[in-house]
Amino acid sequence: MTPAEAALAAPAVAGESYLTHRRGVRSWLFTLDHKRIGIMYLALISACLLLGGVFALVVRLHLWSPGGALVSNDSYNKMFTLHGAVMIFLFVIPGIPSALGNFVLPLQVGAKDVAFPRVNLLSFWLFCAGAVLFVATLVAGGLDTGWTLYPPYSLESSRGLGILLALSGVFLAGFSSILTGVNFIATIHRMRAPGMGWFDLPLFLWALYATGIIQIFATPVLGITVALGFLERLFHLGIFMPEYGGDPVLFQHFFWFYSHPAVYIMILPAMGIVSEVVSVFSRKPIFGYRFIAMSSIAIAVIGFFVWGHHMFVSGQSRWSNLVFSFLTLLVAIPSAIKTFNWLATMYKGAIVLKTPMLYVLSFFAIFGVGGLTGLFLGALATDIPLHDTYFVVAHFHFVMVGAVMIAFLAGLHYWWPKLTGRMYDERTGIASAILVFLGFNLTFIPQFLVGVAGMPRRYATYAARFQGMNRLSTVGAFVLTLGLGFALYGLLASLRRSGARAPANPWGAATLEWSAASPPITENFAVPPLGRRPYDYTGLRKVSDEAGWVGVEEGAR
Amino acid sequence: MNPALHRLGGALLAAGYLPERASSIAAGVDHVFGFLFWLSAFFLALILGLTALFVVRYRERPDRPAPEPCPDHDDRLELLWIAVPLVLVLILFVASTRVYLAMTSLEPGAAPLRVDVTARKWSWWFDHPGGKGSKELHLVAGRPVELVLASTDVIHSLYVPEFRLKQDAVPGRFTRMVFTPTVAGTFQVLCAEYCGTNHSAMSAPVIVHPDQAAFDAWAAEGQGGGGGGAVSLLQVGKAVYDEKGCSGCHSVDGTPGVGPSFKGIWGKVHALQGGGSAKVDEAYVRESIVNPGAKVVVGFENLMPPIPLEEREVQGIITFLQSVKEGP
Amino acid sequence: MSGDAAREARADAAAPSPYLAHHFPSMAAQLETSKLGLWLFLGSEVLFFSGLFTAYGVFRANHWALFHYAHHFLDWRMGALNTVVLVSSSLTAAWSVRSAQLGDRRGLLRNLALTLVLASVFLVVKYFEYSHKLHNGVGWGAACHPSAEILASLPDAARALPVPRDLGVFFSVYYVMTGLHGIHVLVGMGLYLWLLTRASRGHFGAGYYVPVDAVALYWHLVDLIWIFLFPLLYLIG
Repeated sequence: MTPAEAALAAPAVAGESYLTHRRGVRSWLFTLDHKRIGIMYLALISACLLLGGVFALVVRLHLWSPGGALVSNDSYNKMFTLHGAVMIFLFVIPGIPSALGNFVLPLQVGAKDVAFPRVNLLSFWLFCAGAVLFVATLVAGGLDTGWTLYPPYSLESSRGLGILLALSGVFLAGFSSILTGVNFIATIHRMRAPGMGWFDLPLFLWALYATGIIQIFATPVLGITVALGFLERLFHLGIFMPEYGGDPVLFQHFFWFYSHPAVYIMILPAMGIVSEVVSVFSRKPIFGYRFIAMSSIAIAVIGFFVWGHHMFVSGQSRWSNLVFSFLTLLVAIPSAIKTFNWLATMYKGAIVLKTPMLYVLSFFAIFGVGGLTGLFLGALATDIPLHDTYFVVAHFHFVMVGAVMIAFLAGLHYWWPKLTGRMYDERTGIASAILVFLGFNLTFIPQFLVGVAGMPRRYATYAARFQGMNRLSTVGAFVLTLGLGFALYGLLASLRRSGARAPANPWGAATLEWSAASPPITENFAVPPLGRRPYDYTGLRKVSDEAGWVGVEEGAR
Repeated sequence: MNPALHRLGGALLAAGYLPERASSIAAGVDHVFGFLFWLSAFFLALILGLTALFVVRYRERPDRPAPEPCPDHDDRLELLWIAVPLVLVLILFVASTRVYLAMTSLEPGAAPLRVDVTARKWSWWFDHPGGKGSKELHLVAGRPVELVLASTDVIHSLYVPEFRLKQDAVPGRFTRMVFTPTVAGTFQVLCAEYCGTNHSAMSAPVIVHPDQAAFDAWAAEGQGGGGGGAVSLLQVGKAVYDEKGCSGCHSVDGTPGVGPSFKGIWGKVHALQGGGSAKVDEAYVRESIVNPGAKVVVGFENLMPPIPLEEREVQGIITFLQSVKEGP
Repeated sequence: MSGDAAREARADAAAPSPYLAHHFPSMAAQLETSKLGLWLFLGSEVLFFSGLFTAYGVFRANHWALFHYAHHFLDWRMGALNTVVLVSSSLTAAWSVRSAQLGDRRGLLRNLALTLVLASVFLVVKYFEYSHKLHNGVGWGAACHPSAEILASLPDAARALPVPRDLGVFFSVYYVMTGLHGIHVLVGMGLYLWLLTRASRGHFGAGYYVPVDAVALYWHLVDLIWIFLFPLLYLIG
């Protein structure tokens, strides 16, 4: 057998692809296979992205003119609330860990499944239930509290079912997130392939590990907060509502104790993907593995102590403000380590500009802006004027949409051959990466400018002098949508019968998931693999575009 | 800060990028902003430049199919890019903190113009000294201001871009902001904390008078002649004192009754039962109305029942307490 | 491949058990992994309650007089009784793990049943406490209007004081904390019932006792939380 034939014939050992192993809806809905659960998550969060995206477009269209072009103030308020809540709780937080992480993590450690497959399925169903409650919120007349749900506004006694449904949805999605975190950490601890030490873990797994810490230890605080909010609304507990003796600022503390670390639940896995892709597509070991791995942990740990920077103007004491400001600024350091180590990885590499790498290059620019503008909001002197303006909106979109969604797309294209066994169309992928980058910047750079000029966020109407910038932003949103449409089309088109088959290792990556078949068999590996260096490319040889890469000794066989 | 940063800040301002500077701390804020802006611009240029350079230079080509040998880590280099951001962040923190402390401190010895601000859905109300209430905030250029913020419903946030200041108004407590307007003119108070349907329309003019005389002239307008018929906070406070039973236990002439006399009580520090002490300020007065047993002054008994008061009545009592001064 | 032999050897060494999940190489690995997972979950539980403990701390610091006054409504004897009951149940829970490890099926059944009974006693005591308060108008939050009888039953020092306006805030904290703890007790009872049925079918023994161990760990946490709740709520001042 020639090497090319050998590579194409993979899986070498009998065993059916996880996709065709069993058929029928029930075989998916009640599967314990982490890969199928990952795919179901992917489908669900993509649907949530679509829903949140529609809300976003309505918001942008409404802001076409200063007086509001489309809907009433109340409807606008509901639109931006549901846009934020759906995107954050149902797309950005679960997106990378639950969909891609679920699929990739056991493969990368060389295990047959996550530690607790039943818990994994339970987690998926809890998430579904949470998503259904959000949709129910929409049906029950919507919600206009902002995704931050600040009382007293969010818990006023005139509020009906909507807030209760939304709080329950957050609770369930949070529970799901905790279970995912438990599963990931237990799997990474106990189920690594023989010979795989902690510093042989792919950096995506270090990122998921750090994410898991936050999911497990920060999410329960959100859980108790929304539970208290629920009871407060129903029974007037007097915990958060001042009219009954409660403290609305306590809610903010609780809320941000989770929701700031949640930003790191979003960004850390994104950074993990970037670490994988930048090394593989530079054909060079990642630069400074240990510093990158440790910086993930550092971000997760510091992330627990910076929540107060969301509350600099809430009446919090001066001294707490100073401490929170200082700790917040420290997050710049692990972020800088990662950024410069990624750049150093490209240095003297052999850079291949495929779609995942293009997304990662745009990640550098966008995360650069997102991270650096974070300094403006961590420093007290500049945060006070900029707080709750469009500057903040632009900043967190650069981090949460720009960086996270773009890394998600990078990861999706990168692992698509493994997920589906098909190669997406490279030209469509490249077009999507360029359009997403341009559309994104066109949408959000103007928002920095209007923010600095003093346009507060969550405004249904605005001063006439901001109209030009707002229109640019609206146009940008449509370019971004077009780019996402290209990406979706390119990926889905590959699933047609005529779609190109993917080899086991199309990119020449060295992490273990690429030694499984594309798509993997139900048990993942025909022969349980041994641990190996995740970024050591010396044992790999390219056969052809169609046959991908094979191990040197394997090819010689 | 140094003159170079001054110029940078000025350049941003001139480009119409930043709002006008109309308070004493605005320039300081803009310096920090300018410093951060150019710092960010430098690092962004560095990241983008290196990315572009490496992509062009190290792209995989037929004549360059494999990477060149290169170490996979370099602790000294990596420590360098820990140290440089650390130093910059420390500089930023110090610079920002100095400005922040100025933003939250009253100039020593200043007699500030005190305005009680009430936020509600979806308008502002300003009670100026001398009893004049208005939907407009009136200030005097060069005279320090102390705003005491309250809210009657949900959280709002008072934001004036030209002053570079913002402060939430939280129901059930008082918050405070201090600053000195420097430029006479008209600006806008905006609401920066989402508060519902007309959040985006919740604005009010800020009129900064060129001098005290102009302010006084405005304050005297319509006084005694109806002037919109608004009852001043002091009148509200007096009425509460007389009608809600305060006068039964708290004298205004210094005679100790069942409770401490109100005369000269404002701003005093009292020893408390169970140890500790408390200064009689807005927060203490509010707490003593809502939860009278929480902080009982030594020498008195915990006998007062909670008094349900409207937000404006609490503000009124506070104004009233301030008016009952020490002296003959 | 060289790894195959080692892997097969490991698979042989583990006694083939019907309870070994397909993705674990051995029962020992399964036990270790399950325990780690459970510890992580318990860490999450601790943070879940810590939100309430923080709220408690904030409100007690801001309303110390109110909290001191309000604790007179709670009967420390009931709380102490429940503490004894719950600590005993932790003992029987730990004992049940030991019985399972030793393969002592009767001991296991006895200890599981005892734990279940003690948990029920705890909830019965709690029920009497709750119903006494609710009958006397001591609800939570805005629904706290203590009746004349219960006010009359307070110690002299407290009876002389006016009823604070935000008394209900203390009881919100009280009911939410003990209620959430009570829900955990209920869940624990469900788990012990499940263990009992499985144990009666002879599922557990020296080779397989993961669920007994896991539920006992959970039960110890429930016990531990109560040990904090009791002094914080009943023994103020």
